[in-house]
Amino acid sequence: MDKITQKIRETAKLALENGEVEKIIGWTKGDTFDDSHPVFITDEDKADSLIWDSFCVNNVSKYLIKELKQSNKVGVFLKGCDSLGFNQLIVDNRIDRTKVVVYGISCPGMIDPEKVKNEGLNKGLKSVKRSGDEIIFITSEVEKKLSSKDFEFDKCLKCRHPNPVVYDQLMTDALEEREVDLEARFKDVEDLEALSNDERSAYWKNQFSKCIRCNACRNICPACSCVKCIFDNTKAEVSGKAKADTEEQFYHIIRAYHVAGRCVECGECSRVCPAGIPLHKLNSKIIKDLNGLYGEHEAGLDSSVEAPIGMFKLDDCDSFSKQGGGKK
Amino acid sequence: MMKKISKSQFSQLFSNIDKSYQLFLPVELDGKVNFDLWQEGDKVNIEKLKTNISPKSFIFPQSETYMKFKRDGKKLKIDNVSGKKEDYVIFGVRHCDASSFKLLDNVFLEEPVDRLYEQRREKGTIVTMACFEPEENCFCTSFGIKPQTAPIEVDVTTWDLGESILWQSQTQKGEALTEKLNDILEDAANQDKAELNSLQESTKGKVKELPLAKLDPTKITGELKDLFDSEIWQELSERCLGCGSCTFVCPTCHCYDVSDFKGDAQTGERFRCWDSCMFSDFTLMAHGNIRKTQKERVRQRFMHKLVYYPNNHEGVYACVGCGRCVEKCPVHLDIVKVIKKLGGE
Repeated sequence: MDKITQKIRETAKLALENGEVEKIIGWTKGDTFDDSHPVFITDEDKADSLIWDSFCVNNVSKYLIKELKQSNKVGVFLKGCDSLGFNQLIVDNRIDRTKVVVYGISCPGMIDPEKVKNEGLNKGLKSVKRSGDEIIFITSEVEKKLSSKDFEFDKCLKCRHPNPVVYDQLMTDALEEREVDLEARFKDVEDLEALSNDERSAYWKNQFSKCIRCNACRNICPACSCVKCIFDNTKAEVSGKAKADTEEQFYHIIRAYHVAGRCVECGECSRVCPAGIPLHKLNSKIIKDLNGLYGEHEAGLDSSVEAPIGMFKLDDCDSFSKQGGGKK
Repeated sequence: MMKKISKSQFSQLFSNIDKSYQLFLPVELDGKVNFDLWQEGDKVNIEKLKTNISPKSFIFPQSETYMKFKRDGKKLKIDNVSGKKEDYVIFGVRHCDASSFKLLDNVFLEEPVDRLYEQRREKGTIVTMACFEPEENCFCTSFGIKPQTAPIEVDVTTWDLGESILWQSQTQKGEALTEKLNDILEDAANQDKAELNSLQESTKGKVKELPLAKLDPTKITGELKDLFDSEIWQELSERCLGCGSCTFVCPTCHCYDVSDFKGDAQTGERFRCWDSCMFSDFTLMAHGNIRKTQKERVRQRFMHKLVYYPNNHEGVYACVGCGRCVEKCPVHLDIVKVIKKLGGE
């Protein structure tokens, strides 16, 4: 068995046994190679269903909003990116840190099942294992070793936080900060900025026209944690479920602005979009602009720091103020 | 009479169909394949096994206005919006998706007949494409669908032989389309039919080897009340995000909401649009919501497909095994798991 999986099971079992937590949220394995999904465990005998592999892509921290209403203490397993989302939920006052035990896991990157399929490697695939920078694809007949770089999610290739930024216990040794091209962080945005207004408008119109209004992007997002989303509020008169260009544009743009300064760049919105809309680019653009206006801020890095756009200071350098070069 | 056309003549085929019909077919855009209105120069992709989103929107659009109103002094003028006027062809529909149309017919064409739906069905000619290489997430055979053989009710079925496709019309509408293409369709040779037979035989073997081949919904037995009260719903629904990915990519989900769009002070329209039983405002009524948590919502979705629909429609299940929910659910909560948990394997 994988060492980390073993550690996870032992830790969960002990924490449930000695009453340190009432519930554990981690991942368990389904029937297909890529199926590692969130699981909720209260019985220590079931701790052995927990696993860790290259498909534990879900961030389980948002479930805490719901779970902490029923439990006094919950243990969660969090990767680097997950821990940013977790911190953001604390900043947004949606969860109580003292009621959570965080088990941190350093993550070398998750595998994108779509990339596996595109290479035709999913046929007869029994399991996928990772060894350093190599991925081993195991079928009943053969084992194939390939470079992990070719199969990781695009978002993981750009990951700057493989190690959890907040934790109570670590399940793994810290990984070396991976080599990522910092310039490449906003490459997508710069490509869009280089377009003319009309071209850019056409680009987004085309993207938004693919939207099927399933709300997956919103529901997976750790920054989208409103008690009642305006798009679910039947009295707000904006809940239009109609497939109409204006509705889709309105929905995505409002959402992007509402998570401004709070988006932790986990890239889950783009991953879960069934239509394949690169939604993270909207958030990246806003992050880039905010960094330019108010100085570097990284949402979720420190739960005691408010986002510049979430507070007001007299010397804020908004573009309309004197400090920002404006007239007032 | 079985016909045949070389793939090198596809653009001719499409432009010929386009002369008399609106033509929708699988088009690749930004790396995803979806059914779209054909235009010269489109990247048509008929190799991709299934389109990203199912083609149900052609017979049941995501949004559809069916009534318009206008204030005229103290009077209110109401206009019924007329339905689909143009004849259209959907080319390259897979047999799972084609079978889903029949399931929607059972709902919308039963009394009282849905006028707009009926018009769309009448105007459409469905040309399917058989599958010889089903994928890992396919389980259409569990619902009695044969990927290699045409469902009887489709207008035309085609089979991809690599260099060419075979073409078999099965209905009057199919005949009418075939007649219009007489110039470019040639008669299939005995050799082609032999090749087809051998491909079909080999597909039968392949589907048996698929990971989900043993899935069998008929093994779900037991009283409705017991299934309803089963413990599995709590466990399965715990991780559900409450999004509508599964319902909106599903070819058989057909629930809708009716709303009014307020235009200016004088005009407005009433439309219907897809709704999802996964949403918190589904079944929201004046007194509140009868399905208070995600557990009730998840249960509704699967009970509808595997118990209620078959109870109402002579044992036919409301799933065609396309596997889109298996691929799209962000937390791997899909009908395969539910069938297995209810004993269907």
